[in-house]
Amino acid sequence: MSDRSVPRYEAALKVTGRAAYEGEVPAVGLLHAALVEVPIARGDVVAVDASEAERTSGFATMVSYADAEPLKPSPATALIRDRAVHFAGQPVALVVADTLSAARDAARAVRVTTQARPSVTHMAQALNTAYVPAMVGRFPSVSNRGDATAALADADRVVRHRYETAANIHHPLEPHAVVCWWEGDKAVVHTSTQAVFGTRAMIAHAFNMPPADIRVISRLLGGGFGCKGQLWWPWMFLAMLAAKKTGRPVRLELTRAQMFRLVGRRQETVQDLALGFSTNGCLTGIAHHVTAQSSTHAEYSDATAVYTRYLYACPNVTTSHLLVRTNEPQPVPMRAPGTAPGLFALESAMDEAAVRLGFDPVDLRVRNFADHDQEAGRPWSSNSLRDCYCIGAERFGWARRPAQGTAVDGRWRIGWGMASTMYPAIRQAAKVRVQLAADGAVLVQCGTQDMGSGTYTALGQITADALGVPVDRVTVELGDTVLPDGPFSGGSQVTASIFPAAAAATAKLRATIAAMAIADEASPLAGQRLDDLEFRDGSIRSRSGNVGEPWANVLARKGTEGLEAEGESGATQHPDLTATSMGYGAVFVEIGVNAGLGEIRVRRVCGAFAAGRILNPLLARSQYVGGLVGGIGMALHERTETDRATGRMLGETLADYLIPTHADMPEFDIALIEEDDPHLPGSVKGIGMLGTAGIQAAIANAVFHAVGKRVRSLPIRIEDVLGRR
Amino acid sequence: MAKHHVQTTINGDPIEFLCDTEETLLDVLRNQLNMTGTKEGCSTGDCGACSVTVDNRLVCSCLMLGVEANGKKIGTIEGLASGDKLHPLQQKFLEHAALQCGVCTPGFLVASKALLEKNSNPTETEVRYWLAGNLCRCTGYDKIVRAVMDAAHEIRSA
Ligand code: FES
Ligand code: FES
Repeated sequence: MSDRSVPRYEAALKVTGRAAYEGEVPAVGLLHAALVEVPIARGDVVAVDASEAERTSGFATMVSYADAEPLKPSPATALIRDRAVHFAGQPVALVVADTLSAARDAARAVRVTTQARPSVTHMAQALNTAYVPAMVGRFPSVSNRGDATAALADADRVVRHRYETAANIHHPLEPHAVVCWWEGDKAVVHTSTQAVFGTRAMIAHAFNMPPADIRVISRLLGGGFGCKGQLWWPWMFLAMLAAKKTGRPVRLELTRAQMFRLVGRRQETVQDLALGFSTNGCLTGIAHHVTAQSSTHAEYSDATAVYTRYLYACPNVTTSHLLVRTNEPQPVPMRAPGTAPGLFALESAMDEAAVRLGFDPVDLRVRNFADHDQEAGRPWSSNSLRDCYCIGAERFGWARRPAQGTAVDGRWRIGWGMASTMYPAIRQAAKVRVQLAADGAVLVQCGTQDMGSGTYTALGQITADALGVPVDRVTVELGDTVLPDGPFSGGSQVTASIFPAAAAATAKLRATIAAMAIADEASPLAGQRLDDLEFRDGSIRSRSGNVGEPWANVLARKGTEGLEAEGESGATQHPDLTATSMGYGAVFVEIGVNAGLGEIRVRRVCGAFAAGRILNPLLARSQYVGGLVGGIGMALHERTETDRATGRMLGETLADYLIPTHADMPEFDIALIEEDDPHLPGSVKGIGMLGTAGIQAAIANAVFHAVGKRVRSLPIRIEDVLGRR
Repeated sequence: MAKHHVQTTINGDPIEFLCDTEETLLDVLRNQLNMTGTKEGCSTGDCGACSVTVDNRLVCSCLMLGVEANGKKIGTIEGLASGDKLHPLQQKFLEHAALQCGVCTPGFLVASKALLEKNSNPTETEVRYWLAGNLCRCTGYDKIVRAVMDAAHEIRSA
C-alpha cells in the first residue's frame, strides 16, 4: 500500500460514535417537527385546519402556505407558497411540538380539505405532451453531427432497440435533517446539505435577507448522492418559518418514507437507440433518443444521450431528449447522472452489435475508439480508455472467456460481460485558507462540505504534501458558510476544484517562509537561493547545500503569531477549452444465473479506471467499489413504482425498495491507472461517478452470455430471466 | 399519560430514565440520553443502523420500546472502545477504510462484535450473511468483510 493511502481524516470519530451529524446538534428548548401530507396526486388545497391539532398535548404551532406566502417566489418556494398539489404525499403544512411523537400526533390531527383533479401518474399516459427541454444540464438537448438518418439507412448492419431504466431513489443512510434557530434577524441552520453556499443563497433569496446574516453548517454529511440539494429547501424553509414563529429552535428530520417522495429520484427513461456499422465493425451512424419523466412543478433532465456524442468515433450521430411531465415526484441528479442510464443503452447495444458482427466485445470497442472529441472537434486532455480495456481484460482473464451459454458451475449458469464508463472532469470556483501556527500546526479551511466521500482527507493530504509535513499535523475545517467559499458536492468535482486553490495558498506560504529564512541572519538558510529551497519532513531545506531547519523555527524567531494565506481557483470555462477532459473506465463482470430459480448473482468484478492522478489510493478504491455497488443496485435491484390509480408510491420502506446488501457482494478487483494531464491542475479528475456507470450493461451483457436472454430494461429481475415478463 | 421509570445498565453504567410508552429505545438513546452514536436510518427494522445489544443479544433499537430496557444490560457503540483504546474492530474499520459517511458504521461495529462473541472464527460467508441486515449505501461492503475477518484473526491471536 502506498504512503498516499492514509486513513480517513475523521474515521476515529465515526468508529466511536462521537461523530456529530447536523440533525444531532443539541439546542435548548428544541421543538420537533412533523409534516402534514395530502393523499391526492393532483388538485388544490382548500383549507388547512389546525383547531383539533392545537388541542393535542405538546403542540406548539403549525405553519402552512399562509405563513410561507411572504417568502419570495422561486422554484424553491413554489411548493410551499402555492395551494396546488403536484404529487401524492406532498406536504402542505408543518407542525411543531415538544416531542417527536407529539408532533406526529398533532400532524395527524390537522384537517386538510382538498379539491382533487385528474392526474397523470405515469409517462405512458401522456406521451403526446412530451416536449424538448432547452438544455440537459450544461448540454444542448438535441445534437446532430453528420447525417445519422442517411448513415443508418446505408449501414451494412443495424442494431436498433428500446432500452428502459426505472426510477431509483438515492437513499443516503442519513435522512435529511435540519436543526435551525433565529438569533434576532440572523438565522443559524445546521442541515445535511451538499451545498452550504447554495443553501445560504436560497435562504437569502426566499427570506429576503443578506447572506451575511445566515450561517449554514454541514460539517458531516451522512451521504447524499445528489438528493441533498434543492428539493430539500422547501421543507427546510417550513422548519425555519416555525422557528421564527415560535422563537425556539426547531428540528425536522425526514422519515424514510418521505425520502421516497420529497427529495428526488433518478428519472425513469425510455431510450430508442440505433447503431449502424460497416461489415468491418466501424460505426457509421448512431441515433439515441431519450424520453424521460419530470414532475409538474419543476423541470429536470439527465444528460442521458449526451455521452453517446463522445464515447466512440462515428461521423454521423444524432441525439435528443424529451420530457413528459407527470404527477410523480421530481427527479434530480443521482450517482452518475446521465451516464448510468445512457451507457446502459449504448453499451448493451455495442454488445448486441459484437454478437451480430462476430467480434469480441473488447475488440469492437477498441476498433471504434475516439482518438479526439469529435463533437467539439478538439483533442482529449488525456484519454486512457484503451489502457482500461487492456489492463481490465488482462486482470479479469477475458481471453479465456468461454463460448456463450457453455459455462456451468453446479446449478449456476455462468456469464461474462463488459462495458465502458466515462464521466466529464470539471471544476468549480473555490477558495482555500491555510494558517500556520508558530508551533508548526497547520489549519486548512474551505466552506465546501464532505459528503462522506473523503474531502477532509483529500484536503488534509494536499496541504500536508505541499508544506512537507505529516498529515497528522494538519487540522481540516469544512462545511460552514463562515469559511472561504467552496463548491457544492456533485459531479465528482470537489477534489479537482479545491486542489488548485489549496496549491495557491500553500505556495504563497512557502514563498513567505522561504523569504523570511533567507533574510534571517540567525537561520542556517540565510542567503540561500530561493529556487533551491524545498519543504520536506516539516523542514525547509536547501537542495544543494546540506542545510535546513524546521520552518516553525523560522516563524518562532520572528515572534509571529503565525502566517495565513488564501488561494483561489476558477471554474472550468467550457467555451474556452482547448481540450476536453473526461475520466474513463472499463468494467468486467462474471455472473451466475440460477438455472431453476432465475436468481442472478454477481460473482466477481474487475474495474479498470483512468481518472488523472490519484491522491489517495485507499479512498479511491473505496469510492470505486461503492460506486460499482450502486451500479449493481441499479442493474439488479432498485426500482420504485407508482400505483397508477392513486399516484402513490408502492412500498415506502427499505424492505420494499431493494438495495444490495453484504450477502449480495462479489469480490472486487480495482485497477487504478494513473494519468498525467497537462491541461488539469495537478492532473486531478473526479472519480466518484465512474464506478456507478457501465456496470449495468456489463451485467446485462453477462446475463445474455450466460443464458442467451437479452434483457433491455432495468432492473433485471428474476421474472425477466424466467421469461414471465 | 404518566411516564415510565426505567432502570437499566448502559455500557456498564447504571442509568435511569423516564419515557413515554410509545418511545423506542432508539428515541430514548438519541433524544433523551444524548447518546447519538446509535443511528436512525429507517425506524422500521430494515437498515441495522440502530443496532445495540440487549443482554448480549443483537437487536434493532428502533423496534424495541424504551420500557423494555428495564432491568436489562444495553450495549451501544459508545461502549466499544475502552477509554482512548479502540476495539480491534474499530481499529480495523479505520485501517481498511471500511467507512465513508459513517452513518452505518456504529451498527456494523455493534453487529460484528456480537458475531465475534458468538463465533470467534467465522468464515467469510458467515460474516456476509450475519451482516446482511446492515445496509450501507457508500462503501460497497467488501472492506467491511475484510475488516471483520482481520479483527477476528487479531482477537484470536491476542
Ligand atoms: S433504524 Fe432501526 S433498523 Fe433502521
Ligand atoms: S458509510 Fe455511508 S452508509 Fe455506510
